[in-house]
Amino acid sequence: MKPHFLGKKQKSGLKSDWVALVGNPNSGKTAIFNLLTGLNQKVSNYPGITVEKKVGTIYTENDAYHILDLPGTYSLSPESFDEQIVSDQVLSWASGEDPPSVIISVVDASNLSRNLFLTSQLIDLDIPVVIALNMIDRLEDVKQLDLKALQMELGVEAVVPLSAKFNRGLDELRTEVLSAITSSEKVSHPFTWMTQSLKDRLLPLQDKQFLSPKFSTAHALRMLSRNISPNGNESQFKSIRKSISNLGFNVNILEATLRYEWIDKIVRSIQPKIEQPIQKISRSEKWDYLLTHQWIGPFIFVGILYFIFQSIFTWATIPMDWIQLGINQISSFVITQMPPGMLRDILVEGIIGGVGTIIIFLPQIIILSFFLTLMEDTGYMARVAFMLDRGMTKMGLHGKSILPLMSGYACAIPGIMSTRTIDSWKERLVTILILPLMSCSARLPVYTLLISAFIPPLTVGGYFQLQGLTLVIMYFLGTAVALILAKVFSLFIKEKASSSFVMELPPYRIPIARSVIRHIFIRGKLFLVNAGKVILAISIVLWFLASFPKVDQTISDVNPIHQSYAGKIGHAMEPVIRPLGFDWKIGIGLLTSFAAREVMVATMATIYNVADAGDETVNLKNAMRNDIDEKTGAPAYTPLVALALMVFYVFAPQCMATFAIVRQETNSWKWPLFMVAYMTVLAYFGALVVYQGGLLLGFS
Amino acid sequence: MTLIELTPGESGIINGIRGDSHLQNRLVELGLLTGIEVRMVKQAPFKGPVEIKYRDSYLSIRWKDARQIELK
Repeated sequence: MKPHFLGKKQKSGLKSDWVALVGNPNSGKTAIFNLLTGLNQKVSNYPGITVEKKVGTIYTENDAYHILDLPGTYSLSPESFDEQIVSDQVLSWASGEDPPSVIISVVDASNLSRNLFLTSQLIDLDIPVVIALNMIDRLEDVKQLDLKALQMELGVEAVVPLSAKFNRGLDELRTEVLSAITSSEKVSHPFTWMTQSLKDRLLPLQDKQFLSPKFSTAHALRMLSRNISPNGNESQFKSIRKSISNLGFNVNILEATLRYEWIDKIVRSIQPKIEQPIQKISRSEKWDYLLTHQWIGPFIFVGILYFIFQSIFTWATIPMDWIQLGINQISSFVITQMPPGMLRDILVEGIIGGVGTIIIFLPQIIILSFFLTLMEDTGYMARVAFMLDRGMTKMGLHGKSILPLMSGYACAIPGIMSTRTIDSWKERLVTILILPLMSCSARLPVYTLLISAFIPPLTVGGYFQLQGLTLVIMYFLGTAVALILAKVFSLFIKEKASSSFVMELPPYRIPIARSVIRHIFIRGKLFLVNAGKVILAISIVLWFLASFPKVDQTISDVNPIHQSYAGKIGHAMEPVIRPLGFDWKIGIGLLTSFAAREVMVATMATIYNVADAGDETVNLKNAMRNDIDEKTGAPAYTPLVALALMVFYVFAPQCMATFAIVRQETNSWKWPLFMVAYMTVLAYFGALVVYQGGLLLGFS
Repeated sequence: MTLIELTPGESGIINGIRGDSHLQNRLVELGLLTGIEVRMVKQAPFKGPVEIKYRDSYLSIRWKDARQIELK
């Protein structure tokens, strides 16, 4: 697996030397990456929470180097897909495929020995390693640490104490990285933790493709621990395993045990008396008396969830109104400034009408990703996973499913990508399968439009707003069905390996404002760029389909959109969707929704703009409410149709991008096709039950 | 005795880890070696995960996995 950027043309001044950033989860790796690169970074694909490949540029006085931020990992023996990415990368470097010139190993100073474990695996590569000793602000006295001794004992190029939180030590890190790149003499590290007798026994298992004999030996040991024969010679493998356990070792945990013995000895010698008694109760532990309390904790979590959703639907309306106002002004400006004609029609009805209806949802996406980032960065998300693991396991999911599922309320794609941290294949797959049922923000425009147009603003039960309640019901419907299906699916999917849930509970931290802002910025930008591109294209295509062929208005008094290509497609669909209460216009909307759900709203806007043939962008809400079925003369849409349509959107497998990601993450067509099938069935029959049931009960 | 028998606040010294080899390896990679002192911090209800403290870390593992960690 080559880092993708190296295939591209190099920017001028950019060196072919590059730097890799590796570290444990929660070591502050991403914060350091942000500080090193500033705004010069590219996130390929959608951002999950640090699970994708991120490339930035690091500038020194004269040169610029690429820097790759790898996912957080504890070890080169991967337990999750996320860790697999790192271990695959490291293996390719070890075989000489475009290795970095320097590895920055981020180490949490307040958790030294445990973080140095990964470092000790990296130094086997014989690639220069610089240790970024982060979070020194958490230590009471840094001077007690003998950093020079640490550097000598480990055999690394440098140990740079720093604090990403207070932006200290980053210049020193840059300097050390630069000197490690330019220096001709490489520091060699001792390989003393492995005894000679062990090395001798591992010799036949060594893989010749690795450049470093140390790495090759250590890798052979890792394969032995994981019981995977590296060369397929099973009988030789078994006899080696046996001869090593005859030396008195537990082969399963041999590498880790020996490395820790070595690391613990070094750590004891460089930090004489900082050892903390195990009984010491940290500040985070005190917070957890409340936050993960067995009864109070879940209540707090539900309260936070309520607050988040409340803010999405109340606070967000203010900037949304501004955006709406701005769009209206742009359209009227264009109308007054441009002569009437096809170009103006495309611009106003196709582009501004279509794209405008989508930009409105930016505030909601920003607010949701703000809260998710906050929960993740403070360390609270890990506590939620801890509290919910039991319940989630009962439903066939995993404690760590909670972050992906919550991200799913924003967008299924980053949600699916963040399932990579789940250390069980089966539970990860089940999480992916049900994730698109979480109502994503793309469905919000559809719900909001239909609710505001058709659900009366009544108060029920003295307190609840009927409109708000309807929205909550849609979210609840998707989530509840998702959980039930998770249970059902988990009964049919075979386990590949036993599931586990081993998760660090990092200390609570105040999030770094810069990191939060950057994350939201990237999220918002991707929404605008990706959604925008699709929607722009579809809006234009649709406008053409809806506007042509042109009918001579003087001959026919029928609305010209009936005769258009789009009208014909919609009418052809009608027999299938009529039982659900949908007409040909919704039919077109359903079709275009396959690109992305929010396109539905843009489609309706385009259709009505065209049908109206007026110069102003019509108010879509009123247009739909006042639309008359031309055959019966009754209103085309009723609250019941709106309800059926919303239920359809809760379940329907729209948004092809989601299934492309599932294909990529599960590495098979089987699962995305299965998802499309079960969601289609669910959507059709869900809407059918609502509409026909409603008719039977006497609603119209 | 195993880790799960500790009540919150009690601590013990690890004597070894049994069970699935992947789990054994991961726990040792995270620093849960024989001879390391562990304190039980919290047990989630209904045999939910437990939270333990060791070295300078807080770790959460499942109830069934905690039963595989033997104490001296």
